Amino acid sequence: MTRLSAVCGLFGAAFGFLFASVGFNQYDVIHRMLLLKDITPFLVMGSAMGTALPILWLLERRRWRTPLGGNLTLRRWSVEPKHVWGGVIFGSGWAITGACPGTASTTLGAGSLMGLVLIAGMVAGIALRDAFAERQVVPTSEPLAEPARS
Amino acid sequence: MFDVLPIPVPWYVVGPLMGLTVAGLYAVTNKHLGISGAYVQVVDFSRGRPVETWRLWFLAGTVLGAAAVAMLGGHPQAGWGYGALGEYLSLPALVATLFAGGVLVGFGARWAGACTSGHGLTGCATRSRGSLVAVMTFMVTAVAVTLLLHALTGGEL
Repeated sequence: MTRLSAVCGLFGAAFGFLFASVGFNQYDVIHRMLLLKDITPFLVMGSAMGTALPILWLLERRRWRTPLGGNLTLRRWSVEPKHVWGGVIFGSGWAITGACPGTASTTLGAGSLMGLVLIAGMVAGIALRDAFAERQVVPTSEPLAEPARS
Repeated sequence: MFDVLPIPVPWYVVGPLMGLTVAGLYAVTNKHLGISGAYVQVVDFSRGRPVETWRLWFLAGTVLGAAAVAMLGGHPQAGWGYGALGEYLSLPALVATLFAGGVLVGFGARWAGACTSGHGLTGCATRSRGSLVAVMTFMVTAVAVTLLLHALTGGEL
């Protein structure tokens, strides 16, 4: 196992721990949020962005050199129709299942057998999208780095 | 198992720590935190395309981190449970619904390029305009579909 793998595994463990500790791996929590009955999940997301954004902004400005991945390059995507079409389909599935990809792996980790069903469905959905993209000869959704804005 | 972790832990503790995780992963490894990309690797692997192993390690980490939370504070969906949806649907219907919904989630995340973490959390933190559009679209859609399901099930969901 490389150092990068170990570090990413540790960050994943931290992320999964935090994710589950606010109940993001529970249908009822996500469903109440989407019913707009409980705004706590929005506060979690908002304060997480509010913490990460200024740190990343500062690191980018300072031309931070990462210990394991070279010069820091923040990934950005310009607006494209796929963000809307993909967002509509993703949002529908999210509403039906109360699960995003992170919910699936963390409910499985917490002992839910339904996590396996969710992951199977999500992998099938990705494979289906790739099959569609190849048939239509539409460019696949590879991240395109945009030049950093100052 | 031990019941020492009160779930949910307050948002003002977890939110900033989650933000530090996003910024920390970028600062140390230059990687953009996102979960759906890990599932993409499974498809890429099965088609003989190059695999980004760091994503799989990250995903495995999330499984273990959530297992630790379940041990410290329990998990209401352990076993066959699935909250209110599990009570509303029979088990075969629940499995079918979660699989079909999962297909939509995977299809949409692949099309949009990322999910609630890659676009929602990290993309917004890098001030990515495409991410912001994706987030606004899936949030509005998810709320609308949820309210529709609520109405269609007579308020049971």
